Amino acid sequence: MIGCYDFCGHYEWTFAWIEKNFGHDVLLAYWKEAIAEDSQIHASQLIKEKGFAGMEEYWGHTLAEEGAAYTSSCGKDSFRIDMHDCPSKGFLLANGLSQHKDYCDHCIGWIGPMMKNAGFVVDHEHNHLGKCWWSFRRVGEARQPSDPKASTSNIEVMPGWAPSSAKIDRFNGATGADQKQA
Amino acid sequence: MLPYRDSKAQGAADFYFAINATFRFLQSRFGIEKLVKYWSELGESSYFQPVAESWRNDGLPAIAEYWRDFFQAEPNASVDVTYSEERVLLEVKQCPAIYHLRKNSRCIVSEFCQHCFYVSDALASRAGFEVRIKGGNGTCEQTFAKRGSSAPQDLGSIRMADSP
Repeated sequence: MIGCYDFCGHYEWTFAWIEKNFGHDVLLAYWKEAIAEDSQIHASQLIKEKGFAGMEEYWGHTLAEEGAAYTSSCGKDSFRIDMHDCPSKGFLLANGLSQHKDYCDHCIGWIGPMMKNAGFVVDHEHNHLGKCWWSFRRVGEARQPSDPKASTSNIEVMPGWAPSSAKIDRFNGATGADQKQA
Repeated sequence: MLPYRDSKAQGAADFYFAINATFRFLQSRFGIEKLVKYWSELGESSYFQPVAESWRNDGLPAIAEYWRDFFQAEPNASVDVTYSEERVLLEVKQCPAIYHLRKNSRCIVSEFCQHCFYVSDALASRAGFEVRIKGGNGTCEQTFAKRGSSAPQDLGSIRMADSP
């Protein structure tokens, strides 16, 4: 049986398998169709219906269940998550698993299309070391400047965000993993 | 003993949604043959190398220990694991995946239960063992024994999964 305890391990293996057998475009389609539109349909429905409050509700449940160390803030124009210790990438790092070239892309790979469908876009950075931040805003609205009051919890101002080994990927107003900034 | 450790004692059950959705995606896009290939190659892969090695070195006791630990880490699993000199028997009284998918009214891929055969048999073969499965759709019996000791798996004896 394939279990949920080590899910992140065989999930990552699956990315590499799909890409090797069917190509990168099919991997992008997998994140959109299988994860955003099937597996996480409950998240899609919640966010489409309740907007930022739905994001707070969804991630409040799911990140607690996964045991994440994170902070979040919900405003009237945005919802932000700062991931201090990603349980998913953390599982791979702790167990020395590395099958796919960029595991972290899977999150925006499914969250991006889900947000697009609900009328939002994504500002996001990840450092491939278990830390990332996300900010969601409505389509057509300007990117939110960092809130100085919140900056103490913003992951990108904390130690450990950009050690010399970190490669930081950036997305600005994105709705998919293929919109990484050069 | 499980080869990969998490900081939590049990996994997050919502991941069963993604497992089910992965099977559906592969089957609907590429057909059952590619889904079977995915399951078999996962069982043959380096991902399961530590498990294959442990089963090869320590035989049936290691197989029993693996499944005891495995089901302890799966939420809402109810499984008896018994070991004898000839075999390891898993009596799955409540499959955690089928339970969670059904509880959340998810449409379950009909061939869902076949993944247990294809993944586990590919994995077991690396250590000189095989698995045979009877039942499915929430409860089943899985028998691990020396390779070649029983008739080939009859896929008809693995029940299709019903959706709620």
